[in-house]
Amino acid sequence: MLTALLPESLLVVTALVVLGLGVSMPRARTMSTVITLLGGFAAAAVLLVFPIDGNFLHGMVVLDPIARIFKLVILALGLAAAVFASESFPENHFAESLALILFGTVGMMLLTGTEDLLMIFLSLELTSIPLYVLAAFNKTSRASAEAGLKYFLIGSVSAAFLLYGLSLIYGVTGSTNLLAISKAAADPLLTAGIVLTLAGFAFKVAAVPFQLWAPDVYEGAPTAAAALVASGSKVAGIFILVKLLTAGLGHWSGAAGWGQFLPGWAPVLALMAAASILLGNITALVQSNVKRLLAYSAIAHGGYLLLGLTSARTETVSAVLFYVIVYALTTAGAFGVVAIVEKQNGGSRLDDFNGLAKSSPGLALCLLVFFISLAGIPPLAGFFGKFYLFSAALENPSMLWLVILAIAMNAVSLYYYLIVLKHAFVLPACGNIPSAGSPASRALVAALALAVLALGLAPNLLLGHLTQTGPVKVASLKTGN
Amino acid sequence: MTNDYLLLTIFLAIAIVFPLIPLAMAWAWARLFSPAKPGKDKQSSYECGIESTGPAQVQFQSHYYLYALVFLVFDVETVFLMPFAAAFLKLPISAFLALMVFLLLLVEGLVWAWAKGILAWK
Repeated sequence: MLTALLPESLLVVTALVVLGLGVSMPRARTMSTVITLLGGFAAAAVLLVFPIDGNFLHGMVVLDPIARIFKLVILALGLAAAVFASESFPENHFAESLALILFGTVGMMLLTGTEDLLMIFLSLELTSIPLYVLAAFNKTSRASAEAGLKYFLIGSVSAAFLLYGLSLIYGVTGSTNLLAISKAAADPLLTAGIVLTLAGFAFKVAAVPFQLWAPDVYEGAPTAAAALVASGSKVAGIFILVKLLTAGLGHWSGAAGWGQFLPGWAPVLALMAAASILLGNITALVQSNVKRLLAYSAIAHGGYLLLGLTSARTETVSAVLFYVIVYALTTAGAFGVVAIVEKQNGGSRLDDFNGLAKSSPGLALCLLVFFISLAGIPPLAGFFGKFYLFSAALENPSMLWLVILAIAMNAVSLYYYLIVLKHAFVLPACGNIPSAGSPASRALVAALALAVLALGLAPNLLLGHLTQTGPVKVASLKTGN
Repeated sequence: MTNDYLLLTIFLAIAIVFPLIPLAMAWAWARLFSPAKPGKDKQSSYECGIESTGPAQVQFQSHYYLYALVFLVFDVETVFLMPFAAAFLKLPISAFLALMVFLLLLVEGLVWAWAKGILAWK
């Protein structure tokens, strides 16, 4: 039992050490970052070297190969945020921001390894609360305070929705375990429970109509915090949503095909997906701030992910999982570039990117990779992810209406991604700016760009692991405890 | 199943009617028997407690919140220590270790707050 949670425990201990360091040596910022990274690497090593599968504490902690991949990805995204933190977090209380990033990462990792409603809710809160604080971390900035407050208020309301939904599901089925829930009989109250639960998760994924917080939080929060909100918490949220819907509520999916609607969660997801894709892509067209633009792009991508979920089959599930990982890596990288540019030029407006190709060509190249991948152009990972996602969704031909909408809107999205690249590559710079990013951040951005390229050229590197072990299902029910 | 919902409906109806009865009786009493003598105190809306003075929007120290948050450390600690102490002799060593780790988490929170000077009144 203790070994099953060893990676998370290591991260918590690291966070405590970093906190202690923040009190005893507030100036040792590099040292706290190094300790954070060392703790993260230790946790990753434990995950890789001692893989444990099984079901502990009656489904409270469930570990399988896919969950492990997601834990690794989330850990990587958390560490990426910790590296970018040196670009964007204020210098006082720096260690505390690292500790909060680690606590949030622990929450996300726990979220991927559970099949119990209680544990899902607790880990979601453990994820959200550090993120609220991180969003408001820049105490001297009005925008940051606004971001934190909005995120907190909307987040707590949606947590209430989620809790109410989960309690209805528990009330109807008599169990908090996903496997037991999947065997329960249908009931009208269960529908209410499912809808409320979906509302709670739609907040996490920033799907319309629960997207209002996203632009302000992405813009106002310190960029590293926004990167974690956009990447890590999205990965964890989508993963647990997939697990909840397929493993727990698989019988109540309904159908969202054109002309063959059946009540269930699929039509709800399809409507949210269609609305997110439309609103996200169209609103992004008029943004003048790259972080806001990324927020609307995130809403649109949330729509694509929900689209994949509407026909919950084996292929679509692995396509959604692949896509969310690719998306998270790309967004984390894009936010990394934004963090460096922001530190350099003091803002993240489109004009601040002018002449980036001249002043720091490497960074501009990485920006190109990320934005082209977000737009879905081969040979980058975003293209393959979208291709696989849409073709998997079309296994169910009646979903054609949503796929056509998504592809049309994806063409629209190319415009605003290229606008950013135009500012970086074509427009002249206002002044000559030396590049300010720390070597670690620049190396990390380059590594993320390489990962996006590699996953586009050889998607099987990741996809092999996601499909080989089958879809996410109630993992090996041998009680290992 | 149907019966359950029927019961629920009846319960709902009773729940609505029940508070209406005393209200109706009070209204009827006032109409039929009590003499009409309106006054300042009678007309004012009902509030319990002493009469409030001054505006509600005054500034107060946000330090109170911090104290309350730090107090939570002891609060939560007690909640978990009580059952632990009650079952102490039956618990394995791993439970003891787990609780010590939990205490470490809380204590570090307190130490951190202390070191940051939150406990000093400014």
